[in-house]
Amino acid sequence: MKKAFYSHLIDTSSISLALGDMELTQEERIHLISLVESSLHHAVLDMILSELNEGDREEFVKQLADEDDEKIWNFLNKKIDNIEKKIRNTAEELKKELHKDIKES
Amino acid sequence: MASNKYLKLKNKWVDKHRRISESLWTKHKKHLNWLSENSKQLAVGSLGSLILISSPGAQNLNPNQTVKTEEQSLIDKSTFLITDLKNILPSEIRPLTSDEEASVSAVLSRDFNMNVRPEIEEKRLNRSYGLIGAEQHLARYPGDTMSSHFDSQEETSLYYSSGMAPGLGAWRYFANSKESMTEEENLREKYYIAVQTFLAKDFSQRFAEYRDFFRFRKMLLVNPDNGRAIVTAIGDAGPAAWTGKHLGGSPEVMSYLERYDGAQRGPVLYFFIDDPENKIPLGPVK
Repeated sequence: MKKAFYSHLIDTSSISLALGDMELTQEERIHLISLVESSLHHAVLDMILSELNEGDREEFVKQLADEDDEKIWNFLNKKIDNIEKKIRNTAEELKKELHKDIKES
Repeated sequence: MASNKYLKLKNKWVDKHRRISESLWTKHKKHLNWLSENSKQLAVGSLGSLILISSPGAQNLNPNQTVKTEEQSLIDKSTFLITDLKNILPSEIRPLTSDEEASVSAVLSRDFNMNVRPEIEEKRLNRSYGLIGAEQHLARYPGDTMSSHFDSQEETSLYYSSGMAPGLGAWRYFANSKESMTEEENLREKYYIAVQTFLAKDFSQRFAEYRDFFRFRKMLLVNPDNGRAIVTAIGDAGPAAWTGKHLGGSPEVMSYLERYDGAQRGPVLYFFIDDPENKIPLGPVK
């Protein structure tokens, strides 16, 4: 399976492990992990698009469509300060919420 | 049977996912539309708002999927349906105003390519948006029991536990006998709903007319939270007003819509389908 261009920055193993401690079927666990991954993906895209100006957004989605990770990173590093940190922070914030949800369930 | 823990967490994460997805789409719709139409990259909103909120069966689709399929296009439509309905429906579950009903009718008619209306022949129910509860199976013909009720082992394992109502539906049996039962009659029970016919305006004064009008009348049910829609038939009257529920669905209807009874119950839209030539099939709308 192809990874997202930011996959190396986000570790979801803590969530997978927490789900592993719950009594879930394999299908249920996979479904929940899919929700996590998709939520992270949306949150990251939202953050990036919100940081870019209108013209740069257009350029970014074109690069996203081309699936050329190197091009994407060259572009983002030029356009957004501390982009890697911002992606990590976005993911961490969401992961905290998800862990809280697991504890409360 | 899904565990309570799973359902609780799933519901929470589906809501969270929806909020995140809506935020993304509200702010960046133009660019995301371009992305979903012009590339093999994922249709971000589609996956975000629909597939993943449905069921474990959808696990093969994820944010990294790179192949755009026909199914994805369908999901895109549903994503917009969810957003459109969210913009129309009130935050509280109350009867819709005429304007709201007209807007919902337009959206549903457009998205499902059928004539969907809150009122037909100047007859309407007491509401078109309300909480749905779970009903039991109904006897389709004299002698129908739980052991004869299902067409396959799979159906038995999925729906046996709901049991059969001790009484008959409001229109009594769906068919005169097992031998004479048509597929349509079979499906009427499978996809039946119970609605509060007795709360319709003028129902008591024009009882026979209303009874005949409602009998097996087709209605489109839509779960506005996941965009799932199903064509149903009115097969019973109920639930009682004191239950706090506004309509009931057969086990098959509830399962498809992903609605649950009890503390987790949720709302659905229920609108008449104008289908004078009986061309629209009962069951899930794909």
